[in-house]
Amino acid sequence: MGSRTLRAVVALAGATALTVALGACGGDDDGGGSGGGKTLNVLIGANTQYPQEQQDWQKSVSDKFKAQTGADVKWETFASANDELTKIQTSVVSGTGPDVYAIGTTLTPTAYSTRAFVTLGDEEWQKLGGKDKFVPSSLGISGPDAENQIGVPWVGRPFVMVYNTEMLKAAGIAKPATTWDELTQHAKQLTKGDQYGLAVAYKDNFDPWKFIWGMSVQAGNPIVDGKTARIADPAVSKAYQTYFGWLTKDKVVDPAAVGWTNSQAVAAFAKGKTGYFALTSALAAKSLDAGAVKGKWAFTLLPTVPPGATTRPANGVEAASILSGDNLLVADYSKNQDLAFQFVKLITDQEAQLDIYAKLGQLPANAAAAQTLLSDPRLGPVVEAQKKSVATPFTGAWADIQLALTNAVVQSIPDLSSGSISDAQIDSRLAAAQKTAQSSLDRAK
Amino acid sequence: MSTSAIATPGGSRRSRRRTPAGEAHRLLPGPLLAIITVGLCVLVLVPILYIVLASLNTDVGVAEGEFWPSSFSGESYTKIWTTAGLSTGILNSLLVCGLVAVASALLGTVTAYVLVRYTFVGRVTILRGLVGLQSIPGTLMLLPVFVLFSSAGTYFGVTVIGTRWGLFVAYLTFALPFSTWVMVTYLRGLPRELEEAGRVDGASTLTILFRIIVPLSLPAIVVSGIFAFLLGWNDVLFASVLTRPETQTAAVALQIFGTTQEGGALPVYSQMMAAALVCAAPVVLLYLLFQRYLVGGLTAGGVK
Amino acid sequence: MTDDRTTTRTAGDAPVATAAGRDPAGREPPADRAGRRRRGVTERQRPLWLLIPGGTLMTLVIGIPLLLAFYISLIDLDQYTLRRWLEAPFIGLDNFAEAFESGLLHSVWISVSFSVIATVATVPLGVAAAVVTQNAYRGRGWVRAVFLIPYVLPSFVVASVWRTMLQPDGIVNATLTRAGVDGGLWLSGPRSYWTLILVEIWAAWPFIYLMALAGLQSVDSEVHEASAIDGADWWPKLRRVILPYVRGPVLLACLLATLNHINNFTLPYVLFGAPAPDDVNVMPMLVYVTSFQSLRFGLSAAMAVVSLVLIAIPLFVYLRAVRLDVHEEGGRK
Repeated sequence: MGSRTLRAVVALAGATALTVALGACGGDDDGGGSGGGKTLNVLIGANTQYPQEQQDWQKSVSDKFKAQTGADVKWETFASANDELTKIQTSVVSGTGPDVYAIGTTLTPTAYSTRAFVTLGDEEWQKLGGKDKFVPSSLGISGPDAENQIGVPWVGRPFVMVYNTEMLKAAGIAKPATTWDELTQHAKQLTKGDQYGLAVAYKDNFDPWKFIWGMSVQAGNPIVDGKTARIADPAVSKAYQTYFGWLTKDKVVDPAAVGWTNSQAVAAFAKGKTGYFALTSALAAKSLDAGAVKGKWAFTLLPTVPPGATTRPANGVEAASILSGDNLLVADYSKNQDLAFQFVKLITDQEAQLDIYAKLGQLPANAAAAQTLLSDPRLGPVVEAQKKSVATPFTGAWADIQLALTNAVVQSIPDLSSGSISDAQIDSRLAAAQKTAQSSLDRAK
Repeated sequence: MSTSAIATPGGSRRSRRRTPAGEAHRLLPGPLLAIITVGLCVLVLVPILYIVLASLNTDVGVAEGEFWPSSFSGESYTKIWTTAGLSTGILNSLLVCGLVAVASALLGTVTAYVLVRYTFVGRVTILRGLVGLQSIPGTLMLLPVFVLFSSAGTYFGVTVIGTRWGLFVAYLTFALPFSTWVMVTYLRGLPRELEEAGRVDGASTLTILFRIIVPLSLPAIVVSGIFAFLLGWNDVLFASVLTRPETQTAAVALQIFGTTQEGGALPVYSQMMAAALVCAAPVVLLYLLFQRYLVGGLTAGGVK
Repeated sequence: MTDDRTTTRTAGDAPVATAAGRDPAGREPPADRAGRRRRGVTERQRPLWLLIPGGTLMTLVIGIPLLLAFYISLIDLDQYTLRRWLEAPFIGLDNFAEAFESGLLHSVWISVSFSVIATVATVPLGVAAAVVTQNAYRGRGWVRAVFLIPYVLPSFVVASVWRTMLQPDGIVNATLTRAGVDGGLWLSGPRSYWTLILVEIWAAWPFIYLMALAGLQSVDSEVHEASAIDGADWWPKLRRVILPYVRGPVLLACLLATLNHINNFTLPYVLFGAPAPDDVNVMPMLVYVTSFQSLRFGLSAAMAVVSLVLIAIPLFVYLRAVRLDVHEEGGRK
């Protein structure tokens, strides 16, 4: 084991030393902040569907910002909602990190509860060009009330349904479903041979609660009522029964869907053998056009009449989607707050908003920009869904509550797969979720 | 294993065993050896084959459950460089983990040498601690380590979070207990006489260490280096909060790529598999390169 | 069983030093013991300062955070108090009380049983692999390389791959269906527990293999020849003569492997997602979800501390038993 080993080790050590030296040089560039100008750190979600486009967009924004203010923008990205939450927490606890955060709507209440972000007063809104600049519904989850807002709406990703136009036509369905019962009915009609009526991602970590919340809120139960959780409730129970029933009773969903995440459901629909795909967003357009379903699909609103009803009850809300998208938050520890607000203004102005739609397919939260998109017929339902989006409850406990709602589905998957789940089973899982949710609400400050 | 083995008839084996030299070292009868080898290879290679085939398939093909691609294409391998940002990741990983490997092996050697050759109060506690430290869950350490690192920025004005050397320090420390342990077991087996001569000549401890111990312990140093390398290479938990896009490791890039599929994207199975293979390649190469020493290095008293 | 004495004798005589000092210290030759006493003089100038770099790092990056983690387990740290975490209310053992109420023991049980089963199952695989690659033959280098592949693939990759293969309409079920078997669910429900074990076995057995191989390397040539002269058949030879050499390294490997299984977060997280099915809600998952999804840092730290203590107790009992203070065996032949 003489010289050869030695040579190998020396070679490895040498290579390492070399790379380290290289890295050190690179590292200096990173930390330097360069040329005396300031650097603004911005955290946004990574977009693997349009990676090149996202980089282009980032570069064009950076260039513009540099021209405007002389400051550089440094981008950080997060992969998933979990990653995002971890980033927020670690930054909050240490008081260091990005100056500007693009945070998903459902995480905004969590971010708010940490009190680590700048509350937007009149002065701040003025800097941004006023509240009127934004689509009114998009402000719904910026804060607990109009005086305590922290989130500046940036982009919208309302949820919609997509259907196979040819399959519906062949089945003699003239108009896509507008109530959940109608959807189930259509799905039954569409299910035959190797076709399924509906694609649902039961194993997704985020999808399930969106169905449950939507159906409940339409039936008049907002899940959170002040400081009280209302999960152990007939409306919620009915929502789960409907959601599970597609697979177990109605048999309109591919049994493999118990293992699907959202992207697998997209893939299934894209094959062209599924009538409806409930719960997707405008971002799916690219994926759908890549599949066999190209030219044969259309967006439509998710049903807004709760299961078991033909009209919405008086206290029901016409929620076509959760209020979904990203808000921009400015960290209160940031030493560059003025710069941060200039940046936020820049990327919420009409021009930048149309640019991000063009490049990344994200819907503008800027009212003027949104107006121009209404002329696109394919996008019509999506823009409408954005208008009819309803904010999820603004409480620091929401992250826990949506986790509990999803968990009830996760634990039910074996039953779904075996073909039946009793109402009693559902109710016992809901009782557990209720307990978690309530204890989390009790802790909320 | 035992039942089938005992059931094998013994006649032919008996005569073969009598043959001289290497035959005496034979541990298993040929057929059994072949069965076990093939069995284990199949166990390992079937999933690997699936990964390779999937990486040569299209994303849609894999989604449809194809094992054998209906059409082969290397497209995924070209795509991943733009979609997954792997090149920065792999470079960073090689850099940080390579340095961790070297540093932890050397530091481990030094520490182990003292622990093996000298007695002092607390020595046994340290030895036990080295094993005990492996039982600390990473999920427990994540937030405190982050708080600590970030307070270095707050109180000393040193940026640690997001730098490569911050990650280096973290991995080095996590790797150190095992690296030291490997060295402890190895150095125990080294005859003391070898250094005794140097000591008589009046050489300092450091001279003895680097002139005598290190050259003799190369196999073990390689082993502890490789384990340290792997620890850093495979970590996602710490790297995901301690890095930024420029300093991201390959594992993080891979994870970001694998999990960012919310909001209407198709599953990117094929690219995922291609990216996984590309990320695994450096480690596999490293193993192949050092395989010979790997085994020897784990053996106490490898020098005979 | 009649030849038990032979077994122990052979094992005792073997230089099994990789074992965490499994070799009884009492067997140290007296000459050596005298030698150590003689060195008492030089030990005055013990270069203990050499321990400083490593010690400092471990204190700073493991010790302090660990203490911090203990402290966090005693305070009510959540999203509402995170920003001023130093001012978070001290609540003593409340977090621990709550931890025990919220399914902690269930998770500990799953973690421990999963880890032990995975370890036990990897031992025969690893040892068998080591035995079959011990004797040289053409292509052995390739076989050895193949055996290492699962171990060098990052957990994240292993988990993603298996998740893809095991999904309800994935390749595994497709194959099973072709064979006329209904595959069912691998990633949800009670079977997910066994899935986790199987994937962990697939990924982890090469570690045992490596350590077993190291043990086999220490078998002296004379041992082989002696047993050849004895005319021992292969199985008795393997069991009584060869395997005792492997025992030490493999036992240590088992210990380390079990600890690794217990703390493996990436595998279950990527295989099953969060929230995980109850059947695979292992400790690291529970701690992660409590901490980074429910944002109950205090509670999750308490959970992790409990699991740490539960693991540490048997560990230290074991470490005491194996006499780590075996000073050296190197002088012996």
